[in-house]
Amino acid sequence: MDLCQTRLQTTSAVFVLCLVILFPRVGLSQEDATQALRKQLGEIQNQLKSALDRIDQLEKEKSSSSARLGQVEKSVQAVQSAPSALNPSMGLVLDANVQKRGTAGGLFDFRSAEIGIAASIDPFARLYSFINGTKNGVEVDEAAAITTSLPYNLTVKGGRFLADFGRFPKYHEHELPFVNEPLSIDRMVGGETQADGAELYYLFPTPFFLRATFGAMNKIGEGNDRIDNTVLRSGSQFTYLGRLNTYFDLTDNHSIELGTSLAYTPSVRLAGNVSGGSRMLNGVDLTYRYQPLGSLVYQGLTWGSEFYANSERFPFDIEVPNEDDPSILETRTVGKRQQSYGGYSYVDFKLNKNWSTGFLLDYAPVIDNPSQRTLSYSPYVTWNISEFNRLRFQYSYLSNNFKADKADKGNQFFLQWTTVIGAHTHGFLTR
Amino acid sequence: MKMKLLRSKNWKVFFISLAFVWLQTGLVFAQQIRVVATWPALADITRQIGKELVNVDSLATGVEDPHGVPMKPSFVPRLNRADVLVLIGLEDEHSWLPALLDVANNPKILLGRPGYIDCSVGVPVLEAPTLVDRSEGDLHPRGNPHYLLDPVRAKVVAQNIATGLSRNFPQNQATFEKNLKAYTAELDSWIGRWEKMATPLRGVKFVEYHPEWIYLADRFGMKRVGSVELKPGIEPTPNHIVGLVQQIKEEKPQLLIYGAQNPRLPQQIASETGIKVVRLYSGGGNQPETDTYIKWIDYTVRTLVQSVS
Repeated sequence: MDLCQTRLQTTSAVFVLCLVILFPRVGLSQEDATQALRKQLGEIQNQLKSALDRIDQLEKEKSSSSARLGQVEKSVQAVQSAPSALNPSMGLVLDANVQKRGTAGGLFDFRSAEIGIAASIDPFARLYSFINGTKNGVEVDEAAAITTSLPYNLTVKGGRFLADFGRFPKYHEHELPFVNEPLSIDRMVGGETQADGAELYYLFPTPFFLRATFGAMNKIGEGNDRIDNTVLRSGSQFTYLGRLNTYFDLTDNHSIELGTSLAYTPSVRLAGNVSGGSRMLNGVDLTYRYQPLGSLVYQGLTWGSEFYANSERFPFDIEVPNEDDPSILETRTVGKRQQSYGGYSYVDFKLNKNWSTGFLLDYAPVIDNPSQRTLSYSPYVTWNISEFNRLRFQYSYLSNNFKADKADKGNQFFLQWTTVIGAHTHGFLTR
Repeated sequence: MKMKLLRSKNWKVFFISLAFVWLQTGLVFAQQIRVVATWPALADITRQIGKELVNVDSLATGVEDPHGVPMKPSFVPRLNRADVLVLIGLEDEHSWLPALLDVANNPKILLGRPGYIDCSVGVPVLEAPTLVDRSEGDLHPRGNPHYLLDPVRAKVVAQNIATGLSRNFPQNQATFEKNLKAYTAELDSWIGRWEKMATPLRGVKFVEYHPEWIYLADRFGMKRVGSVELKPGIEPTPNHIVGLVQQIKEEKPQLLIYGAQNPRLPQQIASETGIKVVRLYSGGGNQPETDTYIKWIDYTVRTLVQSVS
């Protein structure tokens, strides 16, 4: 029993001694194993990272090569499908109407067939042109180059174009919301603001839209035949233009646009005009728009008004006594400055996608004799059969306070048909 | 007192303060990439890719008819200051964007320049017309541009935006790619959910007002049987409506989907045929439940599923 007890005690002591000796060794080997494992893990992580990087690189290479392939395919497809890809975009507008004017009678009026051509010239400019065929012949209505990449928010336009004066004076007639250009524009501005010259635009770096236009041109107004467009002239005989245009969103659906324009000709002594002197044409335009965003295609209201003031010397004949024989009266042409004021106001309601209606009120003085004036009222209704096909009926009543031609007074009726093929847009100015 | 207020010293202090505030504002904005997107859904995807590096502005609000966004001059200063422009492409914005770009004086974002990010690049396009002629309506010559309604195609859009941003700001490429991966993974997870959720839509016949829903239908197995419009963009004639009513009675589609169009005709057709009318916008972003791309698609799928349940 004692022997057994002694053996047990010895065994226990040896076991404890072994434990004491071995335990730190075991601890040490565990530490080594952990370190080895950590090392292995680190190596595996590094390998995994480099494998993932390689996969990323391969993916990138694959996507870039497939993107390159896609671009090549697209380019080939583009050339195959559109061999005329580098040709300018083109469109044609036909504007015709049937009309009855007062007691003068009626007419099928082929008003115009307008070809529009536009394309980029290079990375720095683009070119557009509108060539207009009317019953009187064919004319280049507009052909102008415009810069696209000038610094400091500047843009330059040069050639023949509709000068940036007022709002509707720079619209082509078929783009107007009514059949005819308001008589006030025709008499005071000279019709569409066609001008041969150059314009510089500056977009102010403001949070709201504010743009200034400066221009120099031979004359302003397609129908302004008081100045010859073809003769050489001094600096004082050009027309200089300035315009400031701004716009504010009152809410998402309501907006207001304001513009003020000035066309100043220091001397209009051209084309045998004995009167000389300067011409100052001012314009103020205001447009209010209700454009409900959710139903813009179906609803809307636009109220637009423009007011013009023209100050110009006009020749007129007076009778003066003869210097040698005062009893004889002789006719002499002298110049007299005339101030005239006119303008129009209209409201246009969009009833649905196809139909709209409106009313135009127009006050137009005769600028060389402002006491003579025409007041006209024109309700109209428009049927947009599609975006490119439009019928418009307009009734106008013209009231003159002077003896006017039979065709220019009383009741007038128009049925206009305007159609477009191809690419046709007059851009931002005629929005 | 009044005179004191108008003293030149006060004005000087006022203008110096104003200039200081203006400069600070400029510095804050200068740190971020200024992005203009044409539609809110594109703006949201751009935000997910650019995160804090971008300041994104959407021109349209999402309620507009895709082809009837007004050409507002107030868009011009925003385009003028943009570093990049993100757009749908496929002539979706042709009626209003090119004219605005003409006056925005920003060569960086003109067609063909690095800042012009056309999201349609590489998107598998449906309904590319074989006959490009206006007798077929207001066509998009390169195909139907309403591809954002397919969330799988939206992954290509996100890739295009990341590529476009990296092209313009290569110093941030790693961030854009990291964000793209995260967003694509999030989209994938949602696509899985939507595919399960949209099981009841499989085989559902529908009529649409305008050809806007073909990508969504293609993704979730719906079948279009007709359109309210006579041709794309052309309002229906009375004869077309009579024919459509007859077709609905015969083929029994379950839904008539319309968006920014006038509700009058869909309601009239519904009263004659009993078809269920659903108004959903193909732009997104117009209400709180659709103010991100994912929320918009989720709302759209849920609404359609509820409509057929």
